[in-house]
Amino acid sequence: MKLTVNGEEHDITARNVSEVVAHFNLEPKLVVAEVDGQILDRADWEDAAVKDGSKIELVQFIGGG
Amino acid sequence: MKHKNLTIGGRELRSRFFLGTGRYPNPYIQNEVIRVSEADVLTFAIRRVNLEAPGEDAILQHLEEDRKFTYLPNTSGASNADEAVRIARLAKASGLSDWIKVEISANEKTLLPDPLETLKATETLVKEGFTVLPYTSDDPVLCKRLEEAGAAAVMPGGSPIGTGLGILNPYNLGLIVEDAEVPIIVDAGLGSAMDVTQAMELGADGVLMNTPVAKAKDPVKMAGAMKMAIDAGRLSYEAGRIPKKKYATASSGLPSFVSY
Repeated sequence: MKLTVNGEEHDITARNVSEVVAHFNLEPKLVVAEVDGQILDRADWEDAAVKDGSKIELVQFIGGG
Repeated sequence: MKHKNLTIGGRELRSRFFLGTGRYPNPYIQNEVIRVSEADVLTFAIRRVNLEAPGEDAILQHLEEDRKFTYLPNTSGASNADEAVRIARLAKASGLSDWIKVEISANEKTLLPDPLETLKATETLVKEGFTVLPYTSDDPVLCKRLEEAGAAAVMPGGSPIGTGLGILNPYNLGLIVEDAEVPIIVDAGLGSAMDVTQAMELGADGVLMNTPVAKAKDPVKMAGAMKMAIDAGRLSYEAGRIPKKKYATASSGLPSFVSY
């Protein structure tokens, strides 16, 4: 399935947001996910289905003032 | 000496030092700085995860978990209110904090805040239930407008971010403090302990710093200096300085003069 993750196209086998985050070996509690413009609570990741062409943003806190 | 703690958005803070978490030489020094500064509020930015090296920029994994902090994410990178609101919502979805520092820069060279977009974003985010701390220009009227829009604290800049130019308009800052009914935090532009003391003596309730500590030759030592400067400035403000006069006044009265 083709997904656009953080602006790049990726071919990933994943049913939901949880599996996308796991695919990239990310620490779930450090990541916030947005799918097709919708920001998701972490508790809803399992239920958030992704489909071919979905645009996903994965963001995190970094150092800043 | 009894110190009155600063309270923002109903939360009593342990310190008036708001510390940024960017640009430290390494995570060890950063943690030492956090410890020595005794800061309670830590600021962060939000960025896309680097999928090639996810751990590289992540900040929270480096923080010591035995201390509790107040997290203040910023909306840096936003150039208008809509972008800032989106970043704020992303930050809130982390579940770490509903505090947000609105930071909207329209000019890459100066990074000066866009006052109109900042006000717009503040209005929206207050309505959504955020505790909003806008970083803004040192304009007294604008600061009042942000307060009226529901900002929990207002954070005027001393000078542009990272310049270390100090407080370019102490007169304005004095007016802002005098008129404010929410805490005023001087954010951006401070360079050394002298600038910090000046801000606190003018009546600021706190200061937010990143670069002057992180990029000092010895960041840990500078964190200590800044902490003491905040305390000294605050005490001096509370104690009430003498008025300035043109001519001298002897410390001992004339009747005690012994030599003729």
